[in-house]
Amino acid sequence: MKYLSNEQIPDFFSSLQATHEVRLPIMLPDGTRCLGHPGDGTVALFGGALPAKPTAAFFPHEGPVFVAASEGFTEPSAPEKPLLVVGFTSRDLACLRFIDRFFAEGWRDDIYFRNRQGALVVGVSGYCGPGGASLALADGDCDFELVWDRTRWLVVSHTGAGSAIVEGLAETVSDGTLERLRKEMAVYEDENEKAIRRASELIRADRVPDTFWSEIGDRCIACTGCNLACPTCTCFGVQDWRYAGRVKRSRMWDSCQLDGFMREASGHNPLGTEGLRTRRRIHHKLAADPDRWGEISCFVCGRCDAVCPTGIGIFAVARELIERFGNI
Amino acid sequence: MKRTLTVCPYCGTGCMFYLVSDSGRLIGVEPSTTHPVSRGGLCVKGWNAFGFVHHPDRLTTPLIRRDGKLHPASWDEALGLVAERLREIQERHGADSLMFASSAKATNEENYLLMKLARGVFGTNNIDHCARLCHSSTVTGLAETFGSGAMTNSIDCFDNTDLILIIGSNTTEQHPLIGSRILKAARRGTKLIVADNRLIRLARHADLHLRHNNGSDVALLNAMMQVIIAEGLEDREFIAARCENFEAFAASIADWTPERAAPLTGLQPGEIVAAARLFAGAKRAMIVYSMGITQHSHGVDNVRCCAALAMLTGNVGRPGTGVNPLRGQNNVQGGCDMGALPDVFSGYQKVSDPMVREKFTRAWGVDALPSTPGLPLTRAMDAAAEGKLHGMFFMGENPILSDPDQGHARHALKNLDFLVVQDIFLTETAALADVVLPAACYAEKEGTFTNTERRIQRVRKGVEPPGEAKADWEIICALAKQAGCDKMHYPDPSAVMDEIASVTPIYGGISYDRLDPLGLQWPCPDRDHPGTPILHIGRFNRGKGRFSPVIYRSPAELPDEEFPFVLTTGRTYFHWHTGTMTRRTHLLDREERRSFIEINPDDAARLGVRERDDVLIASRRGSVRAQARITGIVIPGVVFMPFHFTEGAANALTNNVLDPESSIPEFKVCAVQVRKAP
Amino acid sequence: MSSSADGTTASLYVPVDCEIIAVSDLTPHEKLFRLRLKNGAPLGHLPGQFVQVSLLGWEEAPISVASSPTRTDYFEMGIRRTGSLTSAMHELTAGDLIGVRGPFGRPFELPKLRGHDLLLISGGCGLAPLRSLIHYCEDRPEEFGALTILYGAKSPGDVLFKDDFALWETSARFACSRTVDQVPEGDCYSGGVGLITSLIPPLEIDPHRTVAVLVGPPVMYRAVIAELKKKGLSSDRIVVSLERHMRCGVGKCGHCTIEHLYCCQDGPVFWLNEIEHLRGAL
Repeated sequence: MKYLSNEQIPDFFSSLQATHEVRLPIMLPDGTRCLGHPGDGTVALFGGALPAKPTAAFFPHEGPVFVAASEGFTEPSAPEKPLLVVGFTSRDLACLRFIDRFFAEGWRDDIYFRNRQGALVVGVSGYCGPGGASLALADGDCDFELVWDRTRWLVVSHTGAGSAIVEGLAETVSDGTLERLRKEMAVYEDENEKAIRRASELIRADRVPDTFWSEIGDRCIACTGCNLACPTCTCFGVQDWRYAGRVKRSRMWDSCQLDGFMREASGHNPLGTEGLRTRRRIHHKLAADPDRWGEISCFVCGRCDAVCPTGIGIFAVARELIERFGNI
Repeated sequence: MKRTLTVCPYCGTGCMFYLVSDSGRLIGVEPSTTHPVSRGGLCVKGWNAFGFVHHPDRLTTPLIRRDGKLHPASWDEALGLVAERLREIQERHGADSLMFASSAKATNEENYLLMKLARGVFGTNNIDHCARLCHSSTVTGLAETFGSGAMTNSIDCFDNTDLILIIGSNTTEQHPLIGSRILKAARRGTKLIVADNRLIRLARHADLHLRHNNGSDVALLNAMMQVIIAEGLEDREFIAARCENFEAFAASIADWTPERAAPLTGLQPGEIVAAARLFAGAKRAMIVYSMGITQHSHGVDNVRCCAALAMLTGNVGRPGTGVNPLRGQNNVQGGCDMGALPDVFSGYQKVSDPMVREKFTRAWGVDALPSTPGLPLTRAMDAAAEGKLHGMFFMGENPILSDPDQGHARHALKNLDFLVVQDIFLTETAALADVVLPAACYAEKEGTFTNTERRIQRVRKGVEPPGEAKADWEIICALAKQAGCDKMHYPDPSAVMDEIASVTPIYGGISYDRLDPLGLQWPCPDRDHPGTPILHIGRFNRGKGRFSPVIYRSPAELPDEEFPFVLTTGRTYFHWHTGTMTRRTHLLDREERRSFIEINPDDAARLGVRERDDVLIASRRGSVRAQARITGIVIPGVVFMPFHFTEGAANALTNNVLDPESSIPEFKVCAVQVRKAP
Repeated sequence: MSSSADGTTASLYVPVDCEIIAVSDLTPHEKLFRLRLKNGAPLGHLPGQFVQVSLLGWEEAPISVASSPTRTDYFEMGIRRTGSLTSAMHELTAGDLIGVRGPFGRPFELPKLRGHDLLLISGGCGLAPLRSLIHYCEDRPEEFGALTILYGAKSPGDVLFKDDFALWETSARFACSRTVDQVPEGDCYSGGVGLITSLIPPLEIDPHRTVAVLVGPPVMYRAVIAELKKKGLSSDRIVVSLERHMRCGVGKCGHCTIEHLYCCQDGPVFWLNEIEHLRGAL
């Protein structure tokens, strides 16, 4: 097994910049953590899930579709060097797996895969959560994983590409630490995950009346933060900008919490009330996606609850829903 | 990939976020997770605040009007012409025939510099900005009663209060991150009284919703205070120790019984009594207000009543209390603080005070400064219409859409000899200008904004401005130089702030090195001062809090047979003011593309108007077309219309009648007729 | 998927050029566009499918193909002026180029329709997509049993494809009825007046041989389906085409979902029993 000391982390990832476009968690001046280049700030692997979704590295808030001019269409090019993105928790990796599948199924979304194809994904786990809390091991879904055992980062590769990257690192004796950590992480039962599963059952059993969604909708200010923070929210809008002699078409994250999301030119709107939109936000993750994809598409990352100004993220809604309809 | 921490350019809440850019282009926004106001969240405008920055319509070069058309020009040409023409007008008609309109969208430094340019270089106090249209009533009313025209408390206070009275503020739409605090407080048990006849989101969560008639706030508040005094619920200790003129005030409202107020407000006397008891019974009560209080021909009176209610119940100078006007624009507090007002220098230092003038004369190295207060923006428009004003300089304002009575505003501007507009897009106003100067937007420059809780925060440059556009502060300094002033030269905005600190006591301790990461709240008189989250602790800024008696006056134009509806105007959640930025932001534009009116189902049925029908709305001043939204949000007899849309402009209808003291227009009440469009 | 000049496969999101051959007025609000891919290839669609029409500077809109693939020289689209893109489209004339992506979506399932009596019901603009199937039936009459066309429009001025209708009415192959909701005063209209639902009770239907195909505005479906059920038609014999604001056409942008279904990929054509239990489908 390979390992890195915490002090070696910045240099290790800096050295990969020769071959990769490296993004890793850094600390910004006000204490916000985000994905940045090595050297943009202090490396900040500790602290758990990043506030912004790391999947944005592959599917940014706004990105080009094409530029059209008299000579034809110019499509955005793939990154010069493949992306190497560090900082996915096991939950983030589950989200990434989900959207990889979403973008690949049926018509393959080439814009997404232009960034995603060939990219290396690095997970973080172990005792590196907020305040030293534990983060479950991913044990897959990434190229390699950094597991903090409170003294060093165990480097566990899961793919050939991952192995190749970490090849040169120092070897440590296989003393059973990883197995011990895996067991320690496994004993934590996540209350939020339980709530999400139970809420899903209740919604799918049609136990949640429309009045509930309207009540939650009353508390929604349509900031759209839940959608924009959610790693499995992939809805997008398209915008054309006309410059002299060319048109730039781009796409940007959209939100089902907006009245205009489904409104048709005729005025007809299948999501025409706050209650219906609130229902859609939760129902889509907990009922519709299980029907389509065979799994709940909320992987319990907690971002919508953190970003919601009024306290109606999916955990909060799930708990309220269970409290009110769980024992009928 | 680069991240730049900056302040949201929309409302006065002052959320901070990171602009995310890649190869010199903005690609998104990420909230600051540690910011004390936004706490990791943003509203829909904040999340989309990067969306208009690279828009193809951005102005990229100065424009000069020749043969009736605007043509590209060099900076030297354009600024040379501006300096020459302004000087010419100054010489021919006097300095006071010029008017400078500063901007609540621009930074503190830029507002200070334009103020300095107007007074120090062109010798006129004719400088003002759009605070005239939003909170001039507050500045006047709270200065008189408390000694400081700013929000008394901090946004954090919403987390620790027992009652919030929201009067004339649609907080979840207009200050969404403050509105969401109020929503959360209500969930925790804080009582809410909403006084607003629109069924706004907060009203759905209120313990008491008072749907009083538009413009009857004085009657409502006087009657509430009458009940409080009649029932002995006032805080006598606070009044005795901290306030003055109480006896006269109490006498003035003695006959304002709920029964007298009932027909004026349209409320039941019982509702007023309930509100009074609920408010007076709270240990800590906050008053929150905004344009619904200020934008009246009696706006200052409304503010006086709010101040009196807070003093009467001892709700000033403690956490979780206070009179909290929510400032509309990102930097309208700063625009006022910087003295972009006709009667004061920065820090509300009066131009009429010889000592103050002496100080600024010395600091600026000028011979003399004008001593007579200048024209408020609204009065300046009247003067222009009458031919008494000859040249105007607008920085980042669009009066053709934002001022009352569009026909009047258009006539005023067309009547000028020379009009300069400095902006980021070719606005409806810029299209009329003789010279247009292309400015950098918030994401392209350095500086500071001051939010509604008086928090001075850093604005930072994330990307380069388009083409030849320059930051407003650079343009003002270059213009000063062209006008022959060699003393307005700064390496960067932080040097401007150092000068501001040196001449402005409330900003005395402000320096860029102290503003990271979370800013400072003024007053902050010296470098060691930690800033002031709550004003008037122990003592009012003016000494004793003053109870100012108020005589009830009705709105200037009431409905009649010909114009049977009350029109009240405002903003929507998705758009900002004249729409220059939000209508060029994809998702925001998609949400609301057309001018609309909200009309009550009863009224709509009577007029044969169905949902989404086009209607014609006419007042004595104009007529516009808009789409009908039939909704119980408005009461029968009242229609609401946003002022964002140039096609269907609400301000073609509004009444240019001004509050006699603050010169704020009565945007909130005028009489209109509505009919189905053919 | 299209190909760019250098032979590499172009993005799913890049439209191909398409030439307008002719434009004609259907009503004051609707025009019929006849088009041809610039590379000369047939569009390759099936009845019921749609394309994403792309006007540079105006983004995209999903438009149903109104012509049958049996007619390969061209394809047609009826476009109502509703938003900014469709208004811009209305300014175009023969010779102008537009972009299209597609065809997309699930077509009418011809193998399951063959051999049946078809009840072809449309309201308002719904006749445009249904016309692709009607033309198909016209060209391949031997594949079907009895063919009945029912059409309802708001007013005489809103009636689409009057010329087509005149031909169908005289054709021995079709039984046609049409109606308008109301007639403005002074209009010299002489046809039937009433809701489209009024056309169904008089029909003689063998519910075991018949498939009904419905295309129309959202308000039409419930009422017409109720009438069809009275005639003994079960949900697995009713086909609907749902209007949603499909923005990408390929199941990615998320604007057209109906619970777990993506209208642009799983539809727009559905058998009623697939969607009638889904919230918000009808």
